[in-house]
Amino acid sequence: MLESLRQKKILITGASSGIGRNTAVLLSNYCSHLYLSARREVELQNTLSLMKKAHHQIITADLTQKSAIEKLIQTIENIDGWVHCTGKVLPVPIKFIQQKHYDDVFATNYLSALYTTSALLKHQKINPSSSIVFISSLSTLHTYFGGALYISSKSALEAFAKTLALELAPKKIRVNVLQPALVKTEIYESTVNAAVNEEEMKKHERQYPLGIGEPADIANMTAFLLSDAAKWLTGTFIKMDGGLTLGFQ
Amino acid sequence: MIDVHEFISLLEKEFDDLSPGTLTPNTNYRDIPNWSSMHALIIIAFADAHFNVELTATELKNTQTIQDLYNVIQSKMNQ
Repeated sequence: MLESLRQKKILITGASSGIGRNTAVLLSNYCSHLYLSARREVELQNTLSLMKKAHHQIITADLTQKSAIEKLIQTIENIDGWVHCTGKVLPVPIKFIQQKHYDDVFATNYLSALYTTSALLKHQKINPSSSIVFISSLSTLHTYFGGALYISSKSALEAFAKTLALELAPKKIRVNVLQPALVKTEIYESTVNAAVNEEEMKKHERQYPLGIGEPADIANMTAFLLSDAAKWLTGTFIKMDGGLTLGFQ
Repeated sequence: MIDVHEFISLLEKEFDDLSPGTLTPNTNYRDIPNWSSMHALIIIAFADAHFNVELTATELKNTQTIQDLYNVIQSKMNQ
C-alpha cells in the first residue's frame, strides 16, 4: 500500500520532535528524498540519525518568519507531499490571555501553515496529485481548561485546510487533517507530567479505552494519507483518540 | 516586588472559589480544596500577568508552600 511513496519527495515541517520526528523515521523506510525542517538544527540532526539513510535534507527554519519561509522555498525542489507538524502548546486560562500569547500561538500553529502554503503555491513547488497533511488536535472537538488559544489556532488551521482542499482539488492535490488526542511525545513528558500530578494523569489516561496514543500511530496514518492509496480523500478530518470520545465507560 | 501578604491577596482573587484569608505563607497550596491542574495553570498565568515571570512546570513542581511560590517568582524577577 505504501509502495507509491518510493518516488515521492516529501517535506516535513516540525520534524525535530514528536509526531514530526516519528513521521520522518517511518517515511524514510519508503522515501529516498525527504526534506526535514524545524527551528532546532541539533534536534533535526537527531531525527536524521534515526532515519534510514538516503538523500534526505535538513533545512533549519523558523516558519513564523517570512524570510525563513522564503529560504525553505528556495532550497527545496518540487514536492509530492507535505506534512505540517509545527505546533506550540501554551495553556492559558481565558482571563489571563494577553496579546503576546495570541501572537505566539497563532504565529506557530496557524500563520506558519498559511504563509508556507501560500509561498509553496506561489512558487509552484507542489506537484499535481500531491498530498498535504496538517496535524491539528482532537481538542477542536473536545476542549480542555486553558486551551482557548491553542484550540482556536487549530480550529483556524482546520478551516484553512478545508478551503485549501477545495482550491487545490482541480490539480488533484489532496489536503487532509489529523486530529490526535493525547499522544506520548516529548511535550507530553515534559509539560503534562510536570504540571499534573501522577494520580490525575492516570485518571485522565483511564478515559482512553485503547490507552493514550503513540507518535507512531499518527505517523502511520500520515503515511497512508501521503500515499496513492488515499487518492480519493480530501478535506477529511480524521479523529484519532483511542476511543476517548465514544462515551463514558 | 510586593510583600507576601499582598501577593496572597492577589492570588486569592485569581482563584474564584477561594475566600479572602484562606491562604497563609505556610499554606501548601496543593492542599487547597479540589486542587487540580486547573489551579496550576492559574498560578503560572498569574505569575506571567502580574509579575511578567514565566514559571516553568518544573519550577512549579519544586514549590510546596505559598512562600516557596513567592520566593521563586521574586528570584526570577531579579534575574
